[in-house]
Amino acid sequence: MSSDILGNLKKAILDYDPDASAECARRAVESGINPAEILSALTDAIREIGEGFSSGELFLPDLVGAADALSSATPIVEAEIARTGAKTERMGTVVIGTVFGDIHTIGKTMVATLLQAEGFTVHDVGINVTAEQFVDAIRTHKPDILAMSALMTMTAPEQRKVINSLETEGLRDSVKIMVGGGAITQEFADGVGADGYDPTAPGAAKLARKLMGK
Amino acid sequence: MEFRRGFTRRYPPLKILTEEEVEEIHRATLQILWSTGVHIEHERALSLFEQHGCKVDHEDMRVRMPPALVEQCLRQAPSSFPAPARDPKKSLMLGGNNLALAVAPGHKTVDSTTWEPREATRKENYDAVRVLDALPTVHFFSPYTPYFGFQGVPSCMAMPESLAARIRCSSKFQCVGFSNDSEMFAIEMAKAVGIEILGTCAWAPPLALYRDAVESTFRIVEAGFCLRVVGGQVMGGTSPASIAGAIVNNNAEVIAGLVLAQLIRPGTRVLVKDFTAPMNMSSGAPAFGGIEIALHNTATSQLFQWYGVPLDHTTAYPNSKLPDYQSATEKAFRVMSAGISGGNTMLFHGSVHGELTHHPIQAILDDDMAGMVGRFMEGVEVSTESLATDLIEKVGPVPGHFMNAAHTRKWWKQEQFVPKTSDRLTYPEWQTSGKKTCIDYARERMDDLVATHKPMPLTPSQEDAIERVLEEARTYYLKKGLITDDEMREYRDSMKSPNYPFE
Repeated sequence: MSSDILGNLKKAILDYDPDASAECARRAVESGINPAEILSALTDAIREIGEGFSSGELFLPDLVGAADALSSATPIVEAEIARTGAKTERMGTVVIGTVFGDIHTIGKTMVATLLQAEGFTVHDVGINVTAEQFVDAIRTHKPDILAMSALMTMTAPEQRKVINSLETEGLRDSVKIMVGGGAITQEFADGVGADGYDPTAPGAAKLARKLMGK
Repeated sequence: MEFRRGFTRRYPPLKILTEEEVEEIHRATLQILWSTGVHIEHERALSLFEQHGCKVDHEDMRVRMPPALVEQCLRQAPSSFPAPARDPKKSLMLGGNNLALAVAPGHKTVDSTTWEPREATRKENYDAVRVLDALPTVHFFSPYTPYFGFQGVPSCMAMPESLAARIRCSSKFQCVGFSNDSEMFAIEMAKAVGIEILGTCAWAPPLALYRDAVESTFRIVEAGFCLRVVGGQVMGGTSPASIAGAIVNNNAEVIAGLVLAQLIRPGTRVLVKDFTAPMNMSSGAPAFGGIEIALHNTATSQLFQWYGVPLDHTTAYPNSKLPDYQSATEKAFRVMSAGISGGNTMLFHGSVHGELTHHPIQAILDDDMAGMVGRFMEGVEVSTESLATDLIEKVGPVPGHFMNAAHTRKWWKQEQFVPKTSDRLTYPEWQTSGKKTCIDYARERMDDLVATHKPMPLTPSQEDAIERVLEEARTYYLKKGLITDDEMREYRDSMKSPNYPFE
């Protein structure tokens, strides 16, 4: 019975169906399945999508479609985890966004999705995000990792500004920082004091695991 | 991309002549055919023209055709016709708003690192045919493709051996040429295997048709096969240098060939080839890469749509010596102009330099270019679903996006042609994956296709028939003295390979 419910939940993610995934997540919770197990089924499904994307069998719209289905199921499961105090094995928590002045969403969304596939809890704070908004998000979500994207040369220095703000607010040491985007190089990442950089989205997801020591 | 039966243009063709100009070119053509006439070195053909009211000077072998006969024959030729392949799924309809692309042959292969020409081996010839069979945008095969011959084969056997290789390793529609009566063996092989072929009648510009070409025309048409009538002028050399004058010259030739085919057998399926190039005024060689060819072909397309006769555009031979920027430019303008102006066929894939060299790597690169043109010809679908107004309203302004929409998952695959050999990596990905070029990707695809592609097999009786016809041709040419005893010994030795005929 529980395997049927979790199988349907997984299928809803693989079918990119946010309504079905939310419905299946609700049924899973109502039927009393351990929420850690439900979360693990969700991670398995999104990991399958991530692997398909990395191997070239699936494409960006599949990745984002699956992430959307995941996003509609995850809050239902997380609420149950909070209610029951169930122990879950998560890779860690990430706050991700594109820096102020930059409105490019695609690369950031790809990384966010692949991080979810790696088992991270991801808080996507969107695009055109100011340093103050990043600081607030870190206070709110207490992430293990902050991931920032900048596609344009003109907006890349904004990443330095965010890191400076975190230092000023005494938050720098509470998070690992990874940077990426078309305008970023390893040299730039080293220069702004980031903890990691990778030029590709799948590489960024692996980098996050590495930053977590896993 | 799956094999499709040619590309279909879903919008009106490009027109660069006014209706008055089209009629002016037509009148000029009729005038040349009536007043100057054409030289045809074939007594049976001269008599046939005479019986149908042409003025024939037997001594000068000159035929002058009355306009009414020419126009009647143009009306008689079908505006489109079926071109059946060995595999029925690969059969074509030539004409209308359809463009079918074929192989562009070369005398030799090339070393794919130095791009130096050299004679292909038997194995290279057969492997190249298999690669071409696998490429979805190669819709049919042209004569003596991929190579004009290969090691161990006497030159008079090049045509029969070429057709044998193409039937053995491809189930696509086949076109054949003529040389030293080779069309006799092509007809016999086609009938024995049970396939259709497109024969060839090729002019010697200006305005002359030699015996071999006429003999080929009679044999092909009387056997009930379809015929391709080919010009071949060089503008400024064997035709006027002006494009309009060259169109008239070419038109007179190919229409005279069409008239001959209609007189031999009314209703014969004819594909007319506008094979034209400007002359390189420094060397005298054809400037195959010239954009003027596209103008000539585009105007001629307009003319042949008006006639209602399918048109083959000039073969996409580049002047470049290797696959590079020049080569891509020369090919792209030409194939795109065929796609948008209503060309019905074009020999396109694989020519590395002019008629000199051919290589599967080039054919694979050309497969992607052809796919792009095929995509362009499909145009823009405008429907309630494609307009996507509901979706745009649902997504709204930023932070909304379309990446997660089911509409995107469905439509991107329908709308985007994704080339197999274009480098579309991000810069860092390109750096870390070995800085590959499109040629590297094409080489990988070639190796993969050679290793994995299995053409539709022949039945044992079809295979026996091919070998029997080849043996008849060998005997015929040996008797005619076109193969020496030494050549025959070397030829026989080359057939002793355990993997004959494939290597």
